[in-house]
Amino acid sequence: MTPDNDLVAESYPGNDPFNVTRADMQNVWVLASVWVGLALIATLFAIWFRISTALTEIVVGTVAQLIIGALFGAASLGGNSQWITFLAGTGAIVLTFLAGAELDPQIFRAKWKEATAVGLVGFFGPFLGCTAVAHYALHWSVRSSWLTGVALSTTSVAVVYAVMLELGFNVTEFGKAILAACFINDLGTVIALGLIFSPFTFRTLVFVVVSVVVFLVLPFVTPRFFRYYGGRVSELEAKYLLFLLFAMGGLAVWSGSEAVLPAYIIGMVLAGTVGKDHVLVRRLRTLTFGLLTPFYFIRAGSFVSMPALVAAPLVFVFLFAGKMVSKIAGLFPTVRAFKYQRQEGLYYTLMMSTGLTFGTISALFGLSHGIIDQKQYSHIVATVIGSAVIPTMFANAWVMPRHLLPRKEDAAEPGAASARKEPATAD
Amino acid sequence: MPGRRQNPNFRKIMIGYDGSKQADKAADVAFSFAHSVDCKVLIFAVARPPEPATMVELDAMLDDAREHYEQQFKGLVEKARSMNVDVETAIAVGHPVEQIVHRAETDHVDLIVLGRRGKSRFEKMLVGSTAEKVLRYAHCPVMVVR
Repeated sequence: MTPDNDLVAESYPGNDPFNVTRADMQNVWVLASVWVGLALIATLFAIWFRISTALTEIVVGTVAQLIIGALFGAASLGGNSQWITFLAGTGAIVLTFLAGAELDPQIFRAKWKEATAVGLVGFFGPFLGCTAVAHYALHWSVRSSWLTGVALSTTSVAVVYAVMLELGFNVTEFGKAILAACFINDLGTVIALGLIFSPFTFRTLVFVVVSVVVFLVLPFVTPRFFRYYGGRVSELEAKYLLFLLFAMGGLAVWSGSEAVLPAYIIGMVLAGTVGKDHVLVRRLRTLTFGLLTPFYFIRAGSFVSMPALVAAPLVFVFLFAGKMVSKIAGLFPTVRAFKYQRQEGLYYTLMMSTGLTFGTISALFGLSHGIIDQKQYSHIVATVIGSAVIPTMFANAWVMPRHLLPRKEDAAEPGAASARKEPATAD
Repeated sequence: MPGRRQNPNFRKIMIGYDGSKQADKAADVAFSFAHSVDCKVLIFAVARPPEPATMVELDAMLDDAREHYEQQFKGLVEKARSMNVDVETAIAVGHPVEQIVHRAETDHVDLIVLGRRGKSRFEKMLVGSTAEKVLRYAHCPVMVVR
């Protein structure tokens, strides 16, 4: 360290732990600009191709790691730096909280029986099915296989919700039951991730007891607290929520669990109060999308090994097929039991879609805890992306022509039917 | 309405609105036409979710789209009312072509008016043209305003 390149250290001479060199800070800012630059590129791709930002960020992270890693060394993107890990982790926690806060408690109260039954089956089908495929077909270890099952057990609430909105099912009893079931499905995933790999010690007991008390108390305390002290420029609400999420996340990790578990449940229990405060939710979204989630998704993408994917493409095929088959096998009898017949094809299609958030969170948890290696991580993330994208494409192809198919009277008109045969592509 | 006679062929027309300058131009043409034939106007906008959707992003996008279009609709509604045109507005979620064609059918719309956006060849190759597809699939006449 030289005095002329060390602004901060001039104030704190000697071996001070606060001794941050100019070079260190320069490195941080340069690296931050690289990551935010990548996020910007990902966002532009998302706008141009009209695909989700989460997906483009994962892909950009993978490609950036491939290129930057080849040019400057594998560690040059700094995905394991403490500050990047912190921002990415915070992104996962806040995103999970916001996802939980999207729950509509009234829908759930009205449809809890169907939602619980279908949601649990929707979770256990692929959870057990993909675990079995990973263990018996791919010969992965027991823990790796469980992790695979957890990562592929989710259902993307958003994919289901988007198609429900398009078809107007979101206001029907059928649509409401499906949406609520998706939340239960994801809750199963988060609980499995939080508890399966937990060592079940005294700490686990403390975590469970404290969590239950906090989850019961929060819906009563939070609105009152916000009413007395909220609505000021000091953003008390955001600080309060971040404090809660960090504190419960810290307790979860201390007990050997995962920080997103309490975050999702806190989101769900506050959905009826905080979740309805649009101004607050918007401010949190700005923080999340503007700064936090790019670090999370790009980091998740940067750990994907393209050579591993290219070397063993059949692993993807096995995992993807395992997810689809086990989801149908689980849902078919359940859906029949609730006498949903007309829309069940659509229902299966949508319920097969994997959520990018919980899928990648699970995979990243496995990688960072040594439960899976980088090759397995790459295959799981590829399958998560595949099972998010392919059912969406299928649903579009299947749903789209509904109003566009040639009608009987058109078939009689020369030229009319042939003009309508061409499927509409995404605009 | 005095001085105007309703045309039985055009009881309701729809403006496919996306907030662009061309859409504003299409709205002007549609209002003039609606005024001359004394028919109702539906201003229809479609918010398109990203794919595959992620929950928080989807909700944020829908909130933004609703706010954006509701704001823009205010000006259009004022303009229509100043021309004595009976107007209603609606926002749907999904694929623009599919939603426009479907809504036009269910609302028994007699004419769809759209603006044509000057897309580059690359954009056309990549995403196609909403106007062209509506023209191809709509059950009723379609007017494309350049």
